[in-house]
Amino acid sequence: MTQTMVSLRGIYKIFGPNDKELLHHVQNGMGKEELMEKYKHILALNNINIDIQAEKITVVMGLSGSGKSTLIRHLNRLIEPTEGEICLLGEDLTVLSEVDIRKTRQEMMSMVFQKFALLPHETVLKNVGMPLSVRGMDEADCDKEASKWIDRVGLKGYEDSYPWQLSGGMQQRVGVARALTANTPIMLMDEAFSALDPLIRTDIQDLLLELQKELQKTIIFITHDLDEALKLADYLVILKDGYVVQQGEPQHILMNPNDPYIEDFVSDINRARVLRVRSIMAPLGDGKLPLDAHGEVDVNDTLESMILRSGGDTSHTYVVKDGGKTVGTLDMNELVRALVPRVASETTTRQS
Amino acid sequence: MTLYDKLFSFLGLSDWCKSENKAIISLKDLSAQAAGKEASGPFFPIPSLDNLNESCSRVIKSRDVTNGIEEGFLAAKPALKTVLDPITQPLSWMLDGALWVFESTPWFIMVPILVAISWYASHSRPVSIFVAISIMLLAFVDHYDETMQTLSIVFVCTTISVVFGVPIGIAMSNSDRLQRSLLPLLDLLQTLPTFVYLIPLIFLFSVTESKLYGIAIILYAIVPVIRLTDLGIRLVDYEFIEAANAFGMNDRQKLIRVKLPLALPNIMAGVNQTIMMSLAMVVIASLVSAPGLGVNVLRGIRNLELGVGIIAGIGIVLLAVILDRVSKAALKRIDKTRPKD
Repeated sequence: MTQTMVSLRGIYKIFGPNDKELLHHVQNGMGKEELMEKYKHILALNNINIDIQAEKITVVMGLSGSGKSTLIRHLNRLIEPTEGEICLLGEDLTVLSEVDIRKTRQEMMSMVFQKFALLPHETVLKNVGMPLSVRGMDEADCDKEASKWIDRVGLKGYEDSYPWQLSGGMQQRVGVARALTANTPIMLMDEAFSALDPLIRTDIQDLLLELQKELQKTIIFITHDLDEALKLADYLVILKDGYVVQQGEPQHILMNPNDPYIEDFVSDINRARVLRVRSIMAPLGDGKLPLDAHGEVDVNDTLESMILRSGGDTSHTYVVKDGGKTVGTLDMNELVRALVPRVASETTTRQS
Repeated sequence: MTLYDKLFSFLGLSDWCKSENKAIISLKDLSAQAAGKEASGPFFPIPSLDNLNESCSRVIKSRDVTNGIEEGFLAAKPALKTVLDPITQPLSWMLDGALWVFESTPWFIMVPILVAISWYASHSRPVSIFVAISIMLLAFVDHYDETMQTLSIVFVCTTISVVFGVPIGIAMSNSDRLQRSLLPLLDLLQTLPTFVYLIPLIFLFSVTESKLYGIAIILYAIVPVIRLTDLGIRLVDYEFIEAANAFGMNDRQKLIRVKLPLALPNIMAGVNQTIMMSLAMVVIASLVSAPGLGVNVLRGIRNLELGVGIIAGIGIVLLAVILDRVSKAALKRIDKTRPKD
């Protein structure tokens, strides 16, 4: 297991003037609707505990109103929690002074916004160099560092353009470049790609994954799109009405949803494209390999590619390799079974 | 006034009322007395001070209220004067100094300078040519000196309004309490009839001092720049403030790098309004010895010299158009957030 970068401990957030007084009601089990009805306060986050692993992409997913944007703003204290601890490498951020939290924001966390939030009166170059100039770095150094990252996100030649001259996708590349220029270990991405159209979104997701392979940042990514979540996530947190419904490795959540809400979610996706061989293979128990194996496959191949390979023949079996090592076997019958969506159980009502 | 007579006696106040003898009687009462009967007014007169006074002489008359205000002001005048006189003295110097500079610079230097300024501000050829033609046109009908006087007053008053107005607007945008307390004052300054500004100022300062009209103009013209600075900063989208916070900007950086540039179009609209309002006030200020085109307008009214008034009026309109076009073109040029046409 890798190192924990940020850990959220018992975070509660209630919006309203008397949040502290009402906290014990929530801790004693009062729900969101009841709090709204009785006290006109909004329960945004309800006992959130998450460990965010260093150098991984943690995706927080939920529908609108689930509190995910509120949650990400707690990490750099753009929003103050009503109760709870936010520990960055063991240091509690909630007790930091105004000056210290500013320093933390400058040096530890950068942020990418859904609506880009680029300064419209500054050029791309100055926008991207902004995190450094805020720290007091001299202009020539800012520009140098900024042009490096502009180049890296594929916007070379647009340094002197103004944001309004760029398309949405390009503007968000500027947003990503700005966050990268800050050179912080943590990147917060608040629905960063939600405002983009699907093709451009795929492009910029690929860009992010490519950069991540190289830079190994701790990324916290907020989204309402499960496909996006599954594409990016090393670790997935699913939020509903302010509480964590399930968190864990995305493949695991997909195979073992523990809540009808999540079953609903996952029933809509293309399972073959998301699930990988490692999630459904039979681990190599006593070292016996099937003699009639039709070939070798990698643990990280998607089921879609397996279907293509087998030509739809469910009688095939394959040997699964991880690197050079044999780790298990894959029966195509198992694969088809895994593709059957887990529907919500009959006793719980489906939310439509 | 029988109704109020009855009211006072019903309240048992007749003795208190009568303790002072009814010295002054209204003309109506007097003629009624001469006719040998009491004046018959309406059955239920409006309960005003004057009407109540007729029934009860202890009640003061409305005239006493206005007298009281005047006396109160006169009593406070020495104190006010000792405080305000030194503070506002630089304004006199600035107005006189600017007037001297504008008047003593020969026209063949002044006109090119003005055209150059409008070119520098607007980078627009039509605007610059318009400025040159307008000033030469006014000079052609021998209104050059008056135009320069008016321009110098507008220049000084607008500058001071911006220098004070923008910081006040910024402070207002930062504090809801300050905004709540200043807004009624700004409303008052904007709605108070412009002549009313002049009355207390005439009491305070001598009419020969130029700061008298300077203060009147500034009080009137500073309002839009304060209002629009406050509004402009408050209208800055929260996403930008949030981004500024997320990258760790302090308050100063937020103001200079985010709030002011994004509020600039609104602030410049306020400056434009301030220029227009000081120009409008210049005419009224000529009542208290402000020099310039306004004097001729006043002459036109006083002596019914139609032609003089109209020429001066057109001169003011031309000046207004010049100042408006130059400041708007300048605004458009510096606003980088929008595509230019």
